[in-house]
Amino acid sequence: MITKLAWKNIWFKPLNTVLSVILLTSSVAIITTLILVEKQFEEKFSSNIENVDLVLGAQGSPLQLILSSVYQVDTPTGNISFDSAKVWMNHPFVEKAIPLAFGDNYRGYKILGTTTDYLAKYNAKVTEGVLFDKNFEVVLGSDIAQKLTLQVGDEFYGSHGDAEEGEVHDDYPYKVVGIASKTGKVVDNLILCALPTVWQMHHGHEENPAHGEEGHIHVEGEHDHDHEHEEADLTIDEPNMEITAVLLKIRNQMAKLTWQRVIPQNTKMQAVSPAFEVNRLFGLFGIGVTALQYLAYGIMLISGISIFIALYTTLKEREGEFALLRVNGARRFQLLQIVMIESLLLCVIGFVFGSLLGRVALSMLSNASEADFKMSFDPYTFLWQKEGVLFVVTLLVGCIAALIPAIKAYRLNISKTLANA
Amino acid sequence: MISTKNIRFSYSKEQEFIFPDLYCEAGSTLLITGDSGKGKTTYLHILAGLLSPTTGEISIDNTNIVLLSEKRTDRFRGKHIGVVFQKSHFIAALTVLENLEMASWLATGKKHTKRAKKLLTQLGIEEQASKLPAQLSIGQQQRVSIARALMNEPKVLLADEPTSSLDDKNAEKVIELLTSLSKEYKAALLIVTHDNRIKEKFINKITLV
Repeated sequence: MITKLAWKNIWFKPLNTVLSVILLTSSVAIITTLILVEKQFEEKFSSNIENVDLVLGAQGSPLQLILSSVYQVDTPTGNISFDSAKVWMNHPFVEKAIPLAFGDNYRGYKILGTTTDYLAKYNAKVTEGVLFDKNFEVVLGSDIAQKLTLQVGDEFYGSHGDAEEGEVHDDYPYKVVGIASKTGKVVDNLILCALPTVWQMHHGHEENPAHGEEGHIHVEGEHDHDHEHEEADLTIDEPNMEITAVLLKIRNQMAKLTWQRVIPQNTKMQAVSPAFEVNRLFGLFGIGVTALQYLAYGIMLISGISIFIALYTTLKEREGEFALLRVNGARRFQLLQIVMIESLLLCVIGFVFGSLLGRVALSMLSNASEADFKMSFDPYTFLWQKEGVLFVVTLLVGCIAALIPAIKAYRLNISKTLANA
Repeated sequence: MISTKNIRFSYSKEQEFIFPDLYCEAGSTLLITGDSGKGKTTYLHILAGLLSPTTGEISIDNTNIVLLSEKRTDRFRGKHIGVVFQKSHFIAALTVLENLEMASWLATGKKHTKRAKKLLTQLGIEEQASKLPAQLSIGQQQRVSIARALMNEPKVLLADEPTSSLDDKNAEKVIELLTSLSKEYKAALLIVTHDNRIKEKFINKITLV
């Protein structure tokens, strides 16, 4: 009954209520979105660098190398010679080396030349079909298979580079031989093929001039035939080829550090620690997150003040009402309860709307980042701990805002109030 | 049944009110009159347990309410004392019916919707049950106050200037309702007033000097 009265009271002054709820909603929404984004962003970034100690790639921005080779969100720093990379890949300190070669894209999804180790690294299993083996056979990440509704046995043509509008390589179709299981990592949004597929697709392009020359002569020789089938497939052992990067897992702890210095000094390549770069990125990112958090808590403070002002100003006109409740047998404590519950109800409403709005914002953000970076966020997860803390903070704001008005109601002198009315 | 003995009260050291003893049977009416500043409202508040007298006894149905703790006074007042004020106070956010239900819930923990509806019918304002108090005329508001005061079937009904803001017709109606209903509900009715229109109607009178 007290709660019902408090509920009726807050809607009796709808403008005050709506203002307070809007303020609370927006601050809770911002914080909820931040909490969810930060958590999922960090999770995505951290899970993707598991088992990658160093990334070997062309010299340039280390962060760019990590972003492009591990997260597939930036353009590569350039190509490196597969032969010189092999020197490091076969080094005894290296436990596992996964070469990566970027070639084309299909409707904006990257086609990545690699070895089957890449799938193993992300614990992705081929749920339908088989692993790629021959050139032009591809395995689709689970998200792609779903979004592009491709099935095992389908064929498609890739576009050159990472732009959707790139030149279409219509000489060679890719053939889907398998679909990988869902991992929640970048592999879900990649089309994977064997390393030589990328070389053969670009065979004749300026990337591999030496080989291009050779291939060209070969094609001319067998002019009348369908050259796709007649030409000998390139293999992983082809000399003078180029790749984009190598993901290294290293046995020797010292090598992790020394190679970062030794490799750029002695070769045209660089070796970068993804963990270090990702921490640096979080550092940059963190400033923005912290600023937004301050903003959101600022709004929450304002909403607290707004609740306080609303309760305090209406207290004067409600004195008669409170006195009346006392005359009817209400205890002092019950008056305190009414004011407190009114404030807490506002906070709960604000929190519920804020949580919902934050999730709506996140799903919109997720759609945008999906389109731009192939990175999606799940708005339906609930982080009990952090959001629980937020809920408690929201209620605390309500308690503090209501404290003075509630005490005033508690201390109300009924006789005086009624005599002066 | 209500009776008092040796009630004294002071807001400050310079001024002390000494109130005459009074006695009122269940179902009968006592008028307390007097000029402004003589402590009419103060006496009423003391009788309602809203103010504590410095000395004296107030016996309502053999309970001396002066000796009760504040919390128990609140409970006792809710259950056994009905008050009608000069200016009607309501919970603005609740409808007329909900205001009555709230009065009974605060005192007894039950809503007693039936009784509330019956009282509204007796007072001729049953159509206003689902309106907000602010939508009612002053006369109607005063009747709702009476209904609320009677909600818990009190032993004592206290009315503080119940007619002063009403016109002649409404004042007469309100007095009639107060007396007839207090008889029906067997409550001792104490009316504090300086309204000459109603002074002649009552035999039992105390004048504060």
